[in-house]
Amino acid sequence: MHFAPHLYLDPGSGSFVIQLLIAALLGLAVALRASWGKIKGWFGIKPKIDEEDDEEGSK
Amino acid sequence: MMKKDQNSGQHSASFRDPSGFLFSRGGILYRQVNRKYETEYARLMESGLYEKLVKTGILIPHVETDQISTDPTGDAAFKVIQPERVPFISYPYEWSFGQMKDAALATLSIQRRALKAGMSLKDASAYNIQFVHGKPTLIDTLSFETYKEGRPWVAYRQFCQHFLAPLALMALKDVRLNQLLRVYIDGVPLDLASELLPWKTRFNFGLLTHLHLHAGAQKKYSGAEVKSRAGIMSRQAMIGLIDSLDSAIRKLNWNPSGTEWGNYYDLTNYSDAAFEHKKQLVNEWSVRINPALVWDLGANNGAFSRVASQSGSYVVAFDIDPAAVEQNYRQIKSEKTENILPLLLDLTNPSPAIGWANQERESFATRGPADMVLALAVIHHLAISNNVPLLKLANFFAEIGQWLVIEFVPKSDSQVQKLLVSRDDIFPNYNREGFEAAFKKRFKVCEAVNLRESERVLYLMKNF
Repeated sequence: MHFAPHLYLDPGSGSFVIQLLIAALLGLAVALRASWGKIKGWFGIKPKIDEEDDEEGSK
Repeated sequence: MMKKDQNSGQHSASFRDPSGFLFSRGGILYRQVNRKYETEYARLMESGLYEKLVKTGILIPHVETDQISTDPTGDAAFKVIQPERVPFISYPYEWSFGQMKDAALATLSIQRRALKAGMSLKDASAYNIQFVHGKPTLIDTLSFETYKEGRPWVAYRQFCQHFLAPLALMALKDVRLNQLLRVYIDGVPLDLASELLPWKTRFNFGLLTHLHLHAGAQKKYSGAEVKSRAGIMSRQAMIGLIDSLDSAIRKLNWNPSGTEWGNYYDLTNYSDAAFEHKKQLVNEWSVRINPALVWDLGANNGAFSRVASQSGSYVVAFDIDPAAVEQNYRQIKSEKTENILPLLLDLTNPSPAIGWANQERESFATRGPADMVLALAVIHHLAISNNVPLLKLANFFAEIGQWLVIEFVPKSDSQVQKLLVSRDDIFPNYNREGFEAAFKKRFKVCEAVNLRESERVLYLMKNF
């Protein structure tokens, strides 16, 4: 493994490979979603409040 | 009692992570933070991440102490912290579907917040989650590491094995498959999950990628060195991965229905008067004894656990039926109850001690004794369905609790008749006299009350 020298768990080679594949795909989706938010913003549609911050807000 | 090393007091499940370990001293649980982990600990505390997570209730709070390390060399210690006490440690094979799902979502939520603070979870073990104040909470303060953009999630495999695979199996194959976790302590092997899941799950993007293809990749790249392509997993990709796991988990659902006990209280021979009388006695005795920890064995959906919890006791509500445990969990969640913990348990074969040297995860009995045990409408299942002699039952109950509230259900009761309908009655001593004779060998009988409009008797006993 070249990614992390101090791992105490074996992340598994296969688990890394599949993650990179999925992540490449999903990263694209996140990027698209982010741009979609911007596009909506141009039309004055407010973005949804982030779930995590929302949870905190409701405390 | 928590098992620990004879000399150092070090907790026997706490050896894997070099960042620190747990130890007990004077009945208090401490966690040593090793020097090696100094930078990460400082970042957790100073980045505001600790505060945020604790405020939301998904990370156990702790205080820093001036306790001295138990480490023989003493060099390794950076700090000793004292985490808030968890009233009862439970394990994923004792959780209902909803509890497992909430624990999984809590883990992902922590990872998301950690990423925002420039950190990442270095493990995603289901054993690091405990139910505290009714909510899934991360109890391992040392699970965080500095996030380095480009690096994949090291805990991804563990997350899929500990959470996604069992949840998928429970939701889409059979809810009882969470019991695989009793055998596989590091989570369900993905190739096994992939094989057991219905073929149609390959049309579900989350399960196709995180389970089926993941299992395939594990097989293909087993032992292979992954050449450095660091930098390829952007932060955005990491967030995408976590979101995708989150949506895969959220889509998995299981609803309790069509089970043995789902509508138990509608099917009993109980009159309302007997039920209310029983509630009233449980309430009176709980208030009188004021136990800190109550174990309700055969709790069903927790009707009597609720009664016992009203005086502030912490009640662990065990039942064998996944539907009953699920219903109970949903109720405590919707009512925001903090002092009832519903858990799945087969009393005829309770959770064993498992893991390295049989000491990593404690058995059911070693997590006791409880201050008070409730055994309501359960004795006939143990004595008749499971053929356990009454004296053995008395011995068992005496080992696990100080006070015992036990209901004797006589042979003439229709519930017992049902158990005897297809078998010989080989229980000549199963009557009130036989029951009392056996239990008086281990207990002092303080009260014995005939329940109204019923042939059943409720006892309050004290262990001696």
